[in-house]
Amino acid sequence: MNYDRPELLDRLAAEYVFGTMSARVRRRFRAVQLALPAARRAVEFWERRMTPLARSVPPAQPSAAAWEAIDRRTRGRTSRPVESAFSRFAWLKPALGVAFGAIITLGLARLYPTAVAPVDEFVQQRGTLPASYVGLLTDDSNNPVVLASSTRYGRIMSIKMLRKLDVPPGKVLQLWALPKEGPPFPLGVVAPEGQSSFQMADTSDKLLFGVPRLAVSVEKAPARAGTTPAPYLLTGNCVKLW
Amino acid sequence: MIADLQQLLARVATGDRVAFRQLYDATAPSLYGVALRIVRQRDRAEEVLQDAFVNAWNRAAGYQAALSQPMTWLTAIVRNRALDELRSGARHGAAFLDDGERGPAADIEDERLDPLGLLEQAADTLAIRACLDAIDGLQRQCLALAYYHGLSHSEIADHVRSPIGSVKVWLRRGLAKLKRCLESPA
Repeated sequence: MNYDRPELLDRLAAEYVFGTMSARVRRRFRAVQLALPAARRAVEFWERRMTPLARSVPPAQPSAAAWEAIDRRTRGRTSRPVESAFSRFAWLKPALGVAFGAIITLGLARLYPTAVAPVDEFVQQRGTLPASYVGLLTDDSNNPVVLASSTRYGRIMSIKMLRKLDVPPGKVLQLWALPKEGPPFPLGVVAPEGQSSFQMADTSDKLLFGVPRLAVSVEKAPARAGTTPAPYLLTGNCVKLW
Repeated sequence: MIADLQQLLARVATGDRVAFRQLYDATAPSLYGVALRIVRQRDRAEEVLQDAFVNAWNRAAGYQAALSQPMTWLTAIVRNRALDELRSGARHGAAFLDDGERGPAADIEDERLDPLGLLEQAADTLAIRACLDAIDGLQRQCLALAYYHGLSHSEIADHVRSPIGSVKVWLRRGLAKLKRCLESPA
């Protein structure tokens, strides 16, 4: 077993929490945390271990103006985690996480040249290659409902339902590709909730290269090529990340 | 205390401003002390405190009691913000505590405020004193300066009058040893 990889992330997390990183490295490692859950977990681990060291610092009384400013700055704002920048783009996390992770690898390579391979393998440890094609489908009110993603040369389309859809008994949710030219063609059937995946007829790059839009309709049965879709329940853009 | 803070945080997550004020009253002095040691200027420390509490207000619903205690969570927010502030390099014109400023700075000669003393005191509390004492003296001093004062490598090198390369090595080795102490406290 190669212990370099966990050791590297563990060491970086400890240095981040302890405070010995420079501003530039701190910024980069924060980006790593956004991309790699393992990095966030390592930081949380060291925060639990190291933060008690701060308990020996004598307390001091801030001025009354400090609370007044806090009170003013939080008035009219509800306490909600979704306000964070990261959470706003949470729908892209599955795809951007891995893609960003690969980019971060390059950044880390510049900071820690000897660490290139270990971090790269960390990215791979996530179990998938970075997603290349990503689609976000929304309902009539523009609420995101389906996140679809696939690797460039893979045949697996991964689906994440951002909310449950009610499907009449005996019907299925059919995902369609809407190419720039030509009629829609079926990609596969998606589950009405949670995460699912299906195998496509060909690789993403061949099927989706010329597809700017995706759609979901309710069908009596999985659609075959050449079938005319029922009215679309959801539609959305399909983008190629790389 | 921990349960109380957890309850307060849970109420803050629902937008309870009374609970938010109670949380502030209960924790602000400790957190301000932490920020003050790092940024060393009272006005900057108050800015750090403000940002940290605004951050905590916005993120309270995402706080997970299973992952960290409330003070750990809040202290991490404050330390991160303070370190970012310190590393930003935008030194303000106000006097540094170390320069003999009055007010909170009047205690600066108090041995409790010596960073190495703080580290040793924390080690006693965490029952890792024997492990800490086994770390080389210079490494310990570098660790204390880095953690409690947020000093950069070059600042520590100036402070201990040693080459920056040596300081980097001491810090890395010292941190590795301290990590082991914290991983398996006595």
